[in-house]
Amino acid sequence: MKRRVMGALACAAMAVILAAGCSSTKSSSGDAGSKGASAGKKSMEVTGNDVTTINVWTFIELHQDFYVNMAEKWNEGHPDKKVKLVLSNMPYDDMHNKLSLALESGEGAPDVVDIELGKFPAFMAGNIGLMELNDVIDPYRNNIVQSRLGIYSKDGKEYGLPTHVGTTVAFYNEKLLKDAGINYQDIKTWDQFKEAGVKYHDATGKYFSCVETSASWMINLMLAQKGGDYVDKDGNLNLNSKELTEVLEYIKGMQETGAFATVPGGQPDNEEAYPSYNTGEYAVQIMPFWQTSRFVSYMKDLKKQVAISTVPVWNENDKEVATIGGGGTGTAIVKSGKNAELAAEVMAYIKLSEDSNREVWNVLGFDPVNTAVWTDKSLTQNPDNQFIQYFTNYPFDTLLKTKDSIGLLRAYTDEKYPSINNELCNVTLNSIFEDGKDVKEVLDSSQETLKNEFKK
Amino acid sequence: MKKFFYSKKIAPYVFICPFVITVLLFWLVPICNGVLLSFQDVLKNKWVGFDNYSRLLTDKVFRRALWNSFKYMTGTLVLLIPFPLLFATMLNSRWIKKTEFFKSVYFIPALTSVVVAGTIFRLMFGESATSLFNQVLAVFGVSPVKWLKGAGTSFFALLLLACWRWTGVNILYFLAGLQSIPTDLYEAASIDGASGWQQFVKISVPLVKPTTVYVLTISVYAGLSMFLESNMLFKGNNSPNNIGLTIVGYLYRQGVEKRALGYACAVGLILLLVVMAVNLIQLKVTGTFEEGRD
Amino acid sequence: MNRSIKNRVVTGSFYFIFTLLAVGIFLPIWVLFIASFKPGGDLLQYGLNLDLNCARMNLDNYILLFSGQHEYWKWFFNSISLTVITVLGTLIISSFVGYGFAAYDFKGKKFLFILVLLILSIPLEVVMLPLYKQISSWKMMDSYTAIVLPFLAHASTIFFFRQYLLSIPRSLMEAGRIDGATEYGIFYRLIVPLMKPAFSAMAILNGMNAWNNYLWPLLVIRSSEKYTLTLGLNTLINPYGDNYSLLIVGSVFSVIPIFLLFVAFQKYFIEGMMAGAVKG
Repeated sequence: MKRRVMGALACAAMAVILAAGCSSTKSSSGDAGSKGASAGKKSMEVTGNDVTTINVWTFIELHQDFYVNMAEKWNEGHPDKKVKLVLSNMPYDDMHNKLSLALESGEGAPDVVDIELGKFPAFMAGNIGLMELNDVIDPYRNNIVQSRLGIYSKDGKEYGLPTHVGTTVAFYNEKLLKDAGINYQDIKTWDQFKEAGVKYHDATGKYFSCVETSASWMINLMLAQKGGDYVDKDGNLNLNSKELTEVLEYIKGMQETGAFATVPGGQPDNEEAYPSYNTGEYAVQIMPFWQTSRFVSYMKDLKKQVAISTVPVWNENDKEVATIGGGGTGTAIVKSGKNAELAAEVMAYIKLSEDSNREVWNVLGFDPVNTAVWTDKSLTQNPDNQFIQYFTNYPFDTLLKTKDSIGLLRAYTDEKYPSINNELCNVTLNSIFEDGKDVKEVLDSSQETLKNEFKK
Repeated sequence: MKKFFYSKKIAPYVFICPFVITVLLFWLVPICNGVLLSFQDVLKNKWVGFDNYSRLLTDKVFRRALWNSFKYMTGTLVLLIPFPLLFATMLNSRWIKKTEFFKSVYFIPALTSVVVAGTIFRLMFGESATSLFNQVLAVFGVSPVKWLKGAGTSFFALLLLACWRWTGVNILYFLAGLQSIPTDLYEAASIDGASGWQQFVKISVPLVKPTTVYVLTISVYAGLSMFLESNMLFKGNNSPNNIGLTIVGYLYRQGVEKRALGYACAVGLILLLVVMAVNLIQLKVTGTFEEGRD
Repeated sequence: MNRSIKNRVVTGSFYFIFTLLAVGIFLPIWVLFIASFKPGGDLLQYGLNLDLNCARMNLDNYILLFSGQHEYWKWFFNSISLTVITVLGTLIISSFVGYGFAAYDFKGKKFLFILVLLILSIPLEVVMLPLYKQISSWKMMDSYTAIVLPFLAHASTIFFFRQYLLSIPRSLMEAGRIDGATEYGIFYRLIVPLMKPAFSAMAILNGMNAWNNYLWPLLVIRSSEKYTLTLGLNTLINPYGDNYSLLIVGSVFSVIPIFLLFVAFQKYFIEGMMAGAVKG
């Protein structure tokens, strides 16, 4: 017993010494600040009677603040239809799993829920528990990027309100590239992209860009530009297609030059990857536009170094789509909810109106789906905006260049997509780029695995 | 009525009653439901016969999960039974006196949550050259390893995590078993000139068998149903090439993430069969059936 | 070789081995402890290691834990109350059942006891999904009842108590009957006081399980204000990695209560285990 007490005392003493010793030499503490728990529950304060309470599930905490701000504006304009949002934020996997369980059992679901694009088709299978939103979208329809409504729809019925376009763009570390004698504006095609990579690697010994293994932002883009897809026109699996094989072979070729390599975390949008970019290990990211918010929050050291540019294409004079939308969150309304009608109307305002889309840019740094906002210079060149301050050029200049050529993959709306994505980002890409296996063989094997899953 | 309730004939059933209710409500009914569900496509709400099972037979990913779980179970059995038994015997021997401190320290890992332990190990096995295990490699002049991306290295990490958490607990189990062996047996053996090792093999190992069987049973259980350890080590239910996917992980993926409840129930029933089979073999081999009958 | 020298060599090498093992086992705890003084972002960039870089270490994480905006302490107390409820409930119910098996001979006993052994070896995960559906149809989702209820009559705990009670002579119960005690009175007045070591051992094992329980509560609990510590800590692991400060320091504190429980009961633990589990 005595010994144990002594042991405990020794431990405590050690702790005190350690703590005291270090706090006296305390340096900067700026980066230790945390946003705290992400399992937060938040509730609006609304006065007046006849207020409708609406439960909202999110998986990104920032969205909560945004929804609250916009709901307050709604209440100002609609004193007869006041709402009180009660928001719960949960981790990504957790929230989607709980939603599927809740819809399954018909109990415990919220009124409104944010569903991520990759998971959305899973909720389009069987009996759809979500409400059809065509009517509430109609008032805003003309200004909204059509392909972003399409990805949350089935048989012409729309079930999700998009948050952003997620235009895939190229983020070049202008400063590092310039030091290596490369002008990012000269990069127009993938071949030039690859060449620039080799040149950069020769000059600096560092990596130009990453080869994705846990996501497929660049791969989806290259595939769509080639006119390929993960499913064919009839909705059959098409993983071992000519196009995808070509794309992956091409990326493998990039990897073999040594200028491109896998990154910790497997893709640029990952906690383990941010430091690699922040310290200049890698210089370029091909990512959807919303990566802006990750730059500002998690790659702080790159401020005033990064330029946003259009992505390379296969062939400059081709009619191929210039870019595609990547990632996204569709806000859906649960059909069985008591206040589904009102919730739909309010959320359409919060997600699609011009007012709200200004805030999508100001607060979240995303490219708004309401393109009426894109040309408003007071917004897109506002010197006080933190995103505009961060990058070396005006982000919207790049967006406007490809505004009319934003494609999508058919697979996005296919109910097989979550599984395809899962196989791709866990097995296929790892086998090719980490284990160095043959592209064709791996794709055949993945096709086989998925086929078995969807065997009816 | 009251007399009936209090009679010696009825009382035993009153005592057993909570267990019987639990078995019926929380085991039997769900298992039966599981069997029924395994013949359905729940999302489409229709009966599909043996479709789920025939799909299982050709499911490469499931085979991978089965293999991973088996490998893990075997690994833990090999590492977590002989060594703790040996350590417990050493701690129980006359050569060492003050063991309280060691016992407490060895038990701490079991007290940490898997969420915590898994996160610690994930970060110790990080890819960067400065993570603990890469620093250790660097001492031997080996360049950094992507521990959690390779099948072999991540299996090592998983086993190390299991050993870290359970060695202490198993030592305590075996200590408890060893302490109930009469000391005069050892003394007699000593007088007969048996060495320490001979005493371990001839006295400790056979007499501690009931404990060994118990530890074996819970290790089989824990090994085959492992999920959280891998979930924490790989930061989610997905791992490169499914190197960390276990049976339960697959059950969760199908039943919850992909909403294929019927298929997941089929996976669950296979798990049940596997566990029963392994346990039957184990009990047969150790001969516990015969002794257990009293 | 001289016998006493040999003894001393053996003793010395034993101590050496066990010290080495203790250092190895304590190492990750120590690493975690050091990490709790480092900025959260550093952990991602450099991984966990033994480096003591005083310039970058400070008490910020602890300040965050005690004064920051988060729900850590709510989870903490949820976990404590859930653990207490689970342990008390399981001990009461399971000892009750275990006594039934140990003290009486009745029809069907053999069958039921085999059932105990059977269930003891079936992982909960086998029935998890159907059980979830069932609980949900009873409208018991999102409640602690649903977490605790199915496991109050806990097979391995029952088995343990039964083993333990076998060693108590039946003549003791006969004596109680002669004194006019009822069957239940015998259990509560005569037997329970004798079970202290067994209760301690099971309190530790069940307490450990309840405190670290994850998968079942994850399915059952919906509202974040009911999250337990393990569920809550897990929510801090997001793709952006901006919560490591709280995660690491919170992890340190999550070990403390259960460690105290262990230290408090450890004296009886071995004693209880000895009398219980060993007789197979």
